[in-house]
Amino acid sequence: MLLRSELRVEGNMTAMLQFFFFLSLLLNKKQIKQMSKERTTETKELLKKSPKERKDLSAEVNSRKKKLMEAERIDPGVKFLDDPYLAEYTIDDFPRLRKFLDIHLTKKPEVCPELPSLVTRWHREHGFETDAEGNPWVPALRKAGAYRYLMEHRKPLITNDYIIAGSTTSREIGCVVYPDGSGTFLWNELLTIPHRTYNPFDISPETRDLLHYEVFPYWKHRNFREWVRDKYNNPLSQQIDERYALYFNWKQATISHTIPDFPKMLSLGTSGIIEEIRNELSRGNCDDEKQNTLEAMILTLEGLTLYSRNLANQAALDAENESDPDRKKELRKLAEICSRVVEMPARTLDEAVNALWITWVGIHMESMNAGMSLGRLDQWLQPYFEADMKKISDPDEKRAYIKHAVELIGHFYMKCTDHFPLTPDLANFYFGGSSSDQAITLGGVTPGGNDAVCDMTYIFLKVTEMLSIRDPNVNARYMPGVNSDVYLKRLCEVNLITAATPSMHNDSAIIKALAPMGYAIEDIRNWSATGCVEPTLSCKHLGHTNMQMMNMVAALEMTMNNGRHPLTGLDIGPRTGLPEEGDFGTFDEFFNAFTEQFKFLIDSSIDYNHKLGEAHQYIRPTPLLSSLIGGCIEKGRDVTMGGAQYNSSGTAIIGLADVTDSLMAIRKLVYDEKKISFADLKRAVNTNFDSDPALYAMVTRKVPLFGSGNDEAVGLANRIASWAHNYYGSLPHYRGGKYTTGFWSMSNHVAFGTLTGALPSGRRAGKPFTPGLTPQPSASKNLLDNIRDVARLDPVNMNNNIAFNVKVIPAAGDPQKKIVEDMYSYAKTYFDLGGMQMQMNVVTSDILRDAMAYPENYRNLLVRISGYNAYFVTLNRDMQRELIERAEYGM
Amino acid sequence: MKMDYTEKAVTDTAGGGDTTLPGKRPLILEIKGNSLDDGPGIRSVVFFKGCPLSCRWCHNPESKSPGPGISHDPAECIDCGACITSCPEGAISKKNRYFINREKCTLCYSCVETCPSGALSQVGTIMTVEEIAAAVGKDIPFYKTSEGGVTLSGGEPTMYMEFTAALARSLKALEIHLLLETCGLFVYEKYMDTLDPFIDMIYFDIKLFEPAEHKKHCGADNTLIHENFRKLYRNYQDGGTEILPRTPLIPGITDTEHNLTAIAEFLSSLGVTKSALLEYNPLWGAKCEKIGEENPLGSGKSRDAWMDRDHVARCRRIFLDRGIEV
Repeated sequence: MLLRSELRVEGNMTAMLQFFFFLSLLLNKKQIKQMSKERTTETKELLKKSPKERKDLSAEVNSRKKKLMEAERIDPGVKFLDDPYLAEYTIDDFPRLRKFLDIHLTKKPEVCPELPSLVTRWHREHGFETDAEGNPWVPALRKAGAYRYLMEHRKPLITNDYIIAGSTTSREIGCVVYPDGSGTFLWNELLTIPHRTYNPFDISPETRDLLHYEVFPYWKHRNFREWVRDKYNNPLSQQIDERYALYFNWKQATISHTIPDFPKMLSLGTSGIIEEIRNELSRGNCDDEKQNTLEAMILTLEGLTLYSRNLANQAALDAENESDPDRKKELRKLAEICSRVVEMPARTLDEAVNALWITWVGIHMESMNAGMSLGRLDQWLQPYFEADMKKISDPDEKRAYIKHAVELIGHFYMKCTDHFPLTPDLANFYFGGSSSDQAITLGGVTPGGNDAVCDMTYIFLKVTEMLSIRDPNVNARYMPGVNSDVYLKRLCEVNLITAATPSMHNDSAIIKALAPMGYAIEDIRNWSATGCVEPTLSCKHLGHTNMQMMNMVAALEMTMNNGRHPLTGLDIGPRTGLPEEGDFGTFDEFFNAFTEQFKFLIDSSIDYNHKLGEAHQYIRPTPLLSSLIGGCIEKGRDVTMGGAQYNSSGTAIIGLADVTDSLMAIRKLVYDEKKISFADLKRAVNTNFDSDPALYAMVTRKVPLFGSGNDEAVGLANRIASWAHNYYGSLPHYRGGKYTTGFWSMSNHVAFGTLTGALPSGRRAGKPFTPGLTPQPSASKNLLDNIRDVARLDPVNMNNNIAFNVKVIPAAGDPQKKIVEDMYSYAKTYFDLGGMQMQMNVVTSDILRDAMAYPENYRNLLVRISGYNAYFVTLNRDMQRELIERAEYGM
Repeated sequence: MKMDYTEKAVTDTAGGGDTTLPGKRPLILEIKGNSLDDGPGIRSVVFFKGCPLSCRWCHNPESKSPGPGISHDPAECIDCGACITSCPEGAISKKNRYFINREKCTLCYSCVETCPSGALSQVGTIMTVEEIAAAVGKDIPFYKTSEGGVTLSGGEPTMYMEFTAALARSLKALEIHLLLETCGLFVYEKYMDTLDPFIDMIYFDIKLFEPAEHKKHCGADNTLIHENFRKLYRNYQDGGTEILPRTPLIPGITDTEHNLTAIAEFLSSLGVTKSALLEYNPLWGAKCEKIGEENPLGSGKSRDAWMDRDHVARCRRIFLDRGIEV
């Protein structure tokens, strides 16, 4: 209702959600019944369409895991793996991983009360705006105090029989509630959340009561969204955001989206970092802010140390109570490990991975589990792996150790699934099936420019292949001319086996894109993917790369309507003229009007971004993260205050292909060939083309589209991207640094598409846009046209990366090696031509249709949406259909 | 007026004004990119129009005649009627069996120009060597990574030996791997002198072994085809261009035990150790109607069905038993 503008609210949204909760107290039985009824009807429909289960299709997908290739060791950084593809192992060699995977795929997450309960308790005692004595709080110190309390008092858990200690929540799989961010968004759903169709969560009556009576009332005004509303009197920029059809700013939930300095934590431990901070403090040049910020960092690092000590004690206790001798040994070892890390430097791979995980948990206790990313773990763990391997001389022991390393990383992946971001039902619409998108980055080049592929790269790839899980979101870097074919082919093999991951990136294009930003080349070469695909300079960059999802198509609709957005009726844009009145004499005049409207939306969204940025500075400074981002300690500034060495915010612009194609239709048919009048076109668009099938045929058949190999269309796409990049790049940024532009869409191409009318390109009202900047299916029957055109886009305009989806389907009966070779040929050539990023879905529409009707046969069928992975069967129906309708290219 | 598209007419009209090349000038039906089934690696396939055979099952019926044509795809047609008004000859009517009355049509293509949906299209385009080279040249990076290239197919490229050789020469200058798909009906010496120097690989069709059968189903005698294969294979054995014989499996026509045994025996007698069987693909049936022709195979279950797995296995066995890998 809210989305289709049938209902409008003004004022405190949290209060509205509270009101809806009360409404739901009266109506919840009816709501739940309704949800279940909808599901039953839908299932019946689907079974009617696919009356026969296609076991052959599900069997084909599963059989890919059984035909593994081997390879020679030729990458210079691979020192210990004789077959870097590790073909001798399958998941059957790791019964524990199989068990964890089963839990992951079947267990419903539960809303965890731990964080909101402890944090609210601390604040009720110590205050939020002012401390117990009534003095205004320094936000960083307030946050650090609450954080230290949380870390000290939260439950230390060694779950199941993991060889990694610690957990994100107090539940087996928990959903974290961050009350200062998006936590309260759940208020209206407290009763219905276990029953909803998509991403249902369990919630105990105690948790429900706690949130409703204790937690949410306290945070009703103390969250980003309401803080901005209160301080700036419900500004227009916020009102537009809350219509959910023009742009969506992520800071209302979180900033996250960065790559902490894990190498620092591994090599120094919290004690070493605290020492560094104390040295900085003792220099004596500290202003108040620096003094407070550094002290806050120390408090949070102490909190993290306390948590790891608690884990050590818990492991020792569990060891005593354990009857199985093998497990007892493991627990004793964990107790030893946790009494060393995170306080002291890590020495072994086991210590390093545990330190990494404990830090990861710690970071997620400070800011939201959305898009926070892990960085170049292969690079950062390789020294520990090497050190361990060098201690072993016996070949059998070496082999056993390699297997242990695979298992350890497998446990790490599965640990990353122990938490789930809180998703209100609205988020299922916008970000359906997305988990927290913990990106891991593999391969590429070292800061010095050499081949970075190493043993750990292949160990991570093996785990990616065996588990086929959506998150961690695996991103692989490839540098043409430096990285080997063996490596690139392995990426393709893993992509084929998992059907959707890893996403592949071209280092040389990323370097080209980031070079004009003025970053040091060594730091650019050390980039990692963040959240979905976005580049962050590892360890020293706060690049809030998913600052917003921007619906560029809305700007086009406003240009067609003299500044009015049709679906919402918001009449807010500049008066640029009416096309049907002949207000645009040339195509360039129309294009300029489009940029005027787009400029209006950008300005407005940036206004809201700055206000939310200010809210973060007050409500949620992140001292622990700041201690792990280069620049903050020396400057004595929190990352939210611009402490990082590098600062930026990145946008995701949605609809590049749709806007390009629409403008192509206008330019060619209205202006160049004068085959139709703008008035006719507008009338057709307004009637969803029902009034004029011949015109519809003309715009869909006679206009060369982006992705068809047409120079003009590529030129136009570059022109739009360049305008957006230059304009965003010209805007001042509240932390210093610049705004960057990306062309990927998560799943917003579906959501925003639903809220958009017909387009001059012939796209019908309500239909999805293309994912990321992927060309329309009708652009060309030849995949190579798509690949060439996307590769011809200038990387400089795409410095927050792109998502180029390709759906390829192997011919039945082709040997797996041939399929891998074909995928390799596409990827390699695309990168040689300068293409930036590519992600392949290797599934047929038949498989997807079968999966819709028989989800139980496809529990972990992975698909790439636009930048992230999801399990197909957990997606909402619109997104499922969008994936089915994507162009598929036979191999 | 009905235009004359005999061989002579083609020579005179289809040269695109280029008089520097001797011999007949072809129309190009289509250049298909990203083909993974017409030779090694990623390839572009250049389809020539015109073939000396007229196989009843021909999956590209529009490629048989060397002259230009017009196609109407009912699936794409939106029934707007624009073409009917635009036709100066009154050749288009929904009442016509195949929409266009090809007796009346002069191929002026004004309907194609008018048609908004692309349901009407011109079949066969005049292209120069340079135009073809430019069209396939854009995918050179893909050929390089995949060890692919360009496949000359049809129709029958050797019907235009000089043109094809000129094309092959210019593609070879771009270091593109070239594969020729041929029905085998050409003058051997002329092929060896003009085209073979540029060809890296030949796919050579041997469809029906008995001459009478061949004549009946393919419209020409196959003595010369067998003779050419024999010579090309010997040439290959002596270090010449690689050649792979291929047999399409057409239900009830070429896939009989009798025919396949004869072909396998023939190949085996020449020392052939590798051959290919092309499974019948039923998805071509509608193509004839688009160009206004009856389907020469009629209709029926076997025309519209995919082949039985066991049957294909039996067909393969015939070759495998004679030491020929298929």
